Amino acid sequence: MLEFDGLHKSFGDNHVLDGVGFAVAPGSMFGFCGSNGAGKTTTMRIAMGLVRADAGEVRWRGVPLDQETRRRIGYMPEERGLYPKMKVGEQVTYFARLHGVDAGAAAKAAAEWLGRLGLGERRGDPVEKLSLGNQQRVQLAAALVSRPEVLILDEPFSGLDPVGVDSLAEGLLDQVRAGVPVVFSSHQLDLVERLCDSVGILARGRMVATGTVEELRRRDAGRLLRVVVPDAPQGWMAALPGVRVVSEQAGDTLLELAAGADDQSVLAAAVRTGRVTHFAWREPTLVELFREVVAAPTEEAA
Amino acid sequence: MTAPRTPGSGELVRLVAGRELSTRIRDKTFLISSAIILLLVLGGMVFQAVIASGADDVTIGLVGDTATLKPALVAEGTAVGADVTVVGLDDEAAARRAVTDGDVDGALLDGAGASPRLLVERSAGSSLTATVQGAVSRLAVGRQLSAAGIDRLDVPDVGVTELHPGSDPTGERTGIAVVGVIVLYALLILISNFVAQGVVEEKSTRVVELLLSAMKPWQLLAGKVVGLGVLGLAQIVAIAVVGVAGALIFDLVSLPGQLIGTAFTVLAWFVLGYAFYASVFAAGASLVSRQEDLAGVITPMTMLLVAGFFVALRSASDPTGLLATVTSYVPGLSPLVMPVRMAGGGVAWWEVLLAVGLQLVAIALVVRLGGRIYAGALLRTSGRTTIREALRAERL
Repeated sequence: MLEFDGLHKSFGDNHVLDGVGFAVAPGSMFGFCGSNGAGKTTTMRIAMGLVRADAGEVRWRGVPLDQETRRRIGYMPEERGLYPKMKVGEQVTYFARLHGVDAGAAAKAAAEWLGRLGLGERRGDPVEKLSLGNQQRVQLAAALVSRPEVLILDEPFSGLDPVGVDSLAEGLLDQVRAGVPVVFSSHQLDLVERLCDSVGILARGRMVATGTVEELRRRDAGRLLRVVVPDAPQGWMAALPGVRVVSEQAGDTLLELAAGADDQSVLAAAVRTGRVTHFAWREPTLVELFREVVAAPTEEAA
Repeated sequence: MTAPRTPGSGELVRLVAGRELSTRIRDKTFLISSAIILLLVLGGMVFQAVIASGADDVTIGLVGDTATLKPALVAEGTAVGADVTVVGLDDEAAARRAVTDGDVDGALLDGAGASPRLLVERSAGSSLTATVQGAVSRLAVGRQLSAAGIDRLDVPDVGVTELHPGSDPTGERTGIAVVGVIVLYALLILISNFVAQGVVEEKSTRVVELLLSAMKPWQLLAGKVVGLGVLGLAQIVAIAVVGVAGALIFDLVSLPGQLIGTAFTVLAWFVLGYAFYASVFAAGASLVSRQEDLAGVITPMTMLLVAGFFVALRSASDPTGLLATVTSYVPGLSPLVMPVRMAGGGVAWWEVLLAVGLQLVAIALVVRLGGRIYAGALLRTSGRTTIREALRAERL
C-alpha cells in the first residue's frame, strides 16, 4: 500500500494541508481531484521529499518514504521538467542513471521506453524540438525508465490532445496491470472517472471524499431523479414537499429529493400532467459529485 | 534489466558533473569562446615574435668594397644586439633606390674611404648608426694602426659578473603574469557564468524538481561546480600548454623556468578563484527563476571580478605598491592580484600562504552559506527569492 497519512502543511499563515490522508493499493489507479490551490501539488511534493510536511507521513509498504525509497518512485512534476537542449535519448538515460541504473542498462532501457512510447525516431533530437505531446511522453519515459515501484504524476494529462491522452492512459494502465500503484492529479474528471479505481477529492486542505467512483455515487444515489413529461406545464411539481428543481427544460426535469421525500408521489404528479416518457434515478457524474463536495461546507463534507 | 542500486553521493556527483561536461563541451558558446581565447594567445605571441624580430633585424646596403666591410658590419651588429644582413649594391643610384623602396634600412657609400656616408629613408635607428659607425671606425683604426706599424692591439675584454644570476628585469615576468591573469579572468567569468546559467536553467525548466527527488541539493551543486571546474581547468591547462610551448618556440622569453613557474601559479590560483566565484554565482543564480533576471543578481559579483582584474593590471606596473600588496590578501581579488605580485618578485612565502589561507577561509564560508541559499531557494520557482527567505526556508 502507498499511504498518505495525516499530512499537515502551512506556508506562513496559509494552511494548505489540514490532515490529508488516503491509501492506494498496488495495481490500482488513484485519481486525485480538487480545485486549483486545493493542495494536490503540495501533497505530491511532500511524497517526493520536495516539501517537508509539518505533520504526517507518506508510507510505502508500511515504511515512511526517505531519500532511498523515493528513488523507487517515478515522478512527473506539475510543470514538467526536462533539459530543453539535451537530446531525448541522453536525457532519459541520464534520469535512469540518477536512479541507480548502470550505464549500459540505462541506455537500453531508455531506448526501449522511447520506442514503446513511439519516440524511437526522435531519440537524437533535442527536447525543445518536440511537440508538447511528445515532450510529455519523454517526461513519462523519464519517470518509467528506472522501473519504479510507484508512480506519482502531477497533472500528466494537461495540455494533451485526445490521442495523446489515450496513449498516455494506455501507458499508465500497463503499469497498473504490472502491479504498480499510480497516483495522478487531474482536472479532467471524465478521465479520472474512466481510468481510476478510486478517487480522492481535496478541498480546503482536506479530503472531502475518497473511495471508488461507485462508492461515491452510492453516497449520492437516490437523490437525483430525472423525469421527462413532454406535455407538462411549467412548474408542475412545485407543490410537492421535499423536492427541489435542479433544471427544467421543455418537460425534461431534473429533481433533487430531500431525504424522506416520496418518489411515488412525484410519479403520481407526473402522470397527472399527461405522458411520462422517462422516470429514473440518475447516477451523478463525477463532475456533479465534485461540485457538490467542493461547494459544501467543511463539517458536512467530512 | 538488473535491479537498480542506490547510487552513492560520489556517483551522483560524478553523474551530474559528467552531464555538465558533456553538454558544455558540445556547446557553441563554449567552443567559440575557447577558440577565441586560444587564437588571442597565439596571435599575441606571433605579434610579439614579429615585433621582436623586426626590431633586431638590420639590412645594410653596401656600395663598393664588401669584402672587408661586411664582416666588420656583422661583427658590430652582433655587439649592439642586431642581426645584420649585408646587401651589395652597384652605385649610389642603386643605393638610393634600395633605400627608397625599403629593401635596405640604410646604404653605406664610400665605407672604406675618407668620407663615408650613410643614406637612410628618414632617420637612422640607433642600432643602424651604431653598427655602421662602429664598423667604419674599426676599419679606419685598423688601417691607421697598420700604417703606423702596429698590427695587434691588446684590448682587454670586459668581464661580466652577474650579481643575481637568472634574474631578469621584472618587466618580462610581470608581462607573463598579466597574460596569465587575463586568461584567468576570462575563464573565471566564462565558467562562473556557465554555473549561473545552469542553475537558472534547471530552475526555470523545473528539472530541478526531478533532480531533487533523486538527490540532495549539495550533491547537485557539487556535481555542477566540479564538472564545469574540470572543464575550465582543462581549458586553462590547454591554453597554458599552447602559450608556454609557443613562447619557447618563438623564443619570446629569456627565462623559460620563470614562465613555467608563473603558468603553474596561475593554474593554482584559478582553482582557488573558481571555487570561490562558482559558489557565489550558483547561490546568486538560485535566487531567480528566469534567465532574464539573472543579470540582476550576478552583476555585483561580476563587478568584484572586474575590479580584481583592473587592480591586477594596475599592479603589473607597480607590483610592490600599496594597492597590490593590500589587494593581494583580499579574498576574491587575491587570485587575480597575487600571481602578478609573485611574478614581480619579492613576495615572501608567508605572504602567499596568508593570501591562500584567507581565500580558503572565504571559500569555506561561501560554500557553506551559498550552499544553504542554494538549497533554500532552489524550489521557489516563482519570481525572485531574497537571501533571507532562502536562508529561512526549510532544508530538505
